[in-house]
Amino acid sequence: MNPLRDAWQSIVRRDPLSTDKGKSELVFLNVWLHIHPAKVKKENLKVKHTFYLGFITFFLFLVLVTSGVALMFYYRPDAPQAYQDMKDLQFVVYLGSFLRNMHRWAAHGMVICVFLHMCRVFYTGSYKRPRQFNWVIGVVLFLLTLGLSFTGYLLPWDQLAFWAITVGTNIGSYAPLVGARIRELLLGGHTVGESALLRFYVLHVAVLPVLMTLLTMVHFWRVRKDGGLSRPVWKLKEEKSAQLVTIGAPVASAALAAVPASKDKTYGLMEVVTGKPIFETVSMEEEEDTVFSYPYAFFREGIALLVTVTTVMAVSLFWKAPLEELANPAKTPNPAKAPWYFLGLQELVSHSALLGGVIVPTLAVLALIAIPYIDSNPSRRPADRKWAIRAFTLFVVVNVVLIIVGTFFRGPGWAMVPPWVHITGAE
Amino acid sequence: MKRRSFVSWGTAGLVALCSAISVSLGAVVRFLTPSVFYEPPQTFKIGNPADFSYGPPTFLADEKIFVFRDPEKGFAVANAVCTHLGCTVGYFQSDESFHCPCHGSVFKADGTVQHGPAPRPLEWFEVTLARDGQLRVDKDHTVPASYRLVVSS
Repeated sequence: MNPLRDAWQSIVRRDPLSTDKGKSELVFLNVWLHIHPAKVKKENLKVKHTFYLGFITFFLFLVLVTSGVALMFYYRPDAPQAYQDMKDLQFVVYLGSFLRNMHRWAAHGMVICVFLHMCRVFYTGSYKRPRQFNWVIGVVLFLLTLGLSFTGYLLPWDQLAFWAITVGTNIGSYAPLVGARIRELLLGGHTVGESALLRFYVLHVAVLPVLMTLLTMVHFWRVRKDGGLSRPVWKLKEEKSAQLVTIGAPVASAALAAVPASKDKTYGLMEVVTGKPIFETVSMEEEEDTVFSYPYAFFREGIALLVTVTTVMAVSLFWKAPLEELANPAKTPNPAKAPWYFLGLQELVSHSALLGGVIVPTLAVLALIAIPYIDSNPSRRPADRKWAIRAFTLFVVVNVVLIIVGTFFRGPGWAMVPPWVHITGAE
Repeated sequence: MKRRSFVSWGTAGLVALCSAISVSLGAVVRFLTPSVFYEPPQTFKIGNPADFSYGPPTFLADEKIFVFRDPEKGFAVANAVCTHLGCTVGYFQSDESFHCPCHGSVFKADGTVQHGPAPRPLEWFEVTLARDGQLRVDKDHTVPASYRLVVSS
């Protein structure tokens, strides 16, 4: 009897990794890894199928939590002390500037990646049955990401922060009946002041991250239960597409018939659960296309994590997060811009506040949520869903163009300027 | 348990649950609404009439107001907060108008919108003479653009 081996066995609780059983047990006996299936389809691991955007978004969230907790050691949400703390982080605290840069750039990266992830899911038709509700959760996660970024924007308490939030919250106040009330609740007053700073801080470091974590767990869990990562359907042969179905999930059409459970397999739940097994089954042909999650999937996820963290660190080494002068409620910078991801809305708001501030964003969010329920076309092949792809592409292009116009082509007094003005600083 | 009593108890339970959730949500909203706003008072004194010159308006940054003094008509106070998205407007003597730096709204000297996305004219606040002879502005009390306080010097 070897006490050390016993102790190790009590921790890892699995067979050696040299065996197939050990590789499977590594996944489902480990609380951190059990969200993975023991085996994954080889196709799903290809970078060009998912670009690992969901993983990258999640890894950016981890970077944000880590760097954010570090920043909290030196930050007080109290005006004007908050600004002094930012200056301390910038110039006094060891690695303070670097951590702040990482936090800022990872936040921007997360907004971009969550949007790109949404585009990928749309273009591959991966929101279709049985994944409709997971798409809805994804849209809510996208909104939470914007909320986290927006609440964090105020915390430096500089001119950029103050006026971006003043403009941003005023956009929201155009909502009929409840707009002004929501703004008052959010700000804890009638103007952006100390109450607003404290409220945004609480939302930023407690409320929204907790919601984000809970919904992310549900999102991952549903990806797993809805049949794992979704691969582009046009990569599959006709007969193989039938094998994508999760048994127990509602069956969309006859074309996607469930694969009968193999007689060679034993199912632990069979004695207590009647009916079809609720977990995914694979046919013998498909088993040939699968590999163990450990090491194949974990290795690639590890690479994605490394690339994400390294990129954020590299960007943070060379580009500083902006910090302007102390917030001054009496002096509006010219132009005063909302955070870049809201500049599309601000561009619309510069023409009509009701249109840009209320009607368009409300309709856009409702339309995004409704996509899997409006789109009754069961096919995931691009050739069968040209109009859906055209409509979504139009939505993406309009968004991007408006953001580019708001960011680069708007100068003092919101007048049109050539984009190089922002670089040279002169007209 | 009989079906009838199950349904009635179940309904009562559901109603109780919904009521509890509604009351709790109401309490949360009320909790988040400050009972006291620790903000600058809406009524404040801005100085003696003699402190203000004739001609271009005086901008008071902390209060975000413009104080106009006209030799014949008297005092008027305009809100410097743009009615579009809350930015602080500037007054340009050259064309006697207010310009908003955020989205280019332009207001005439009487506060009406000349062009731009602003949905409403600039507000004008009541200005009165306090007992100690100072001008007192009440931001809770808006008045027509034609309102003037005439102070005999």
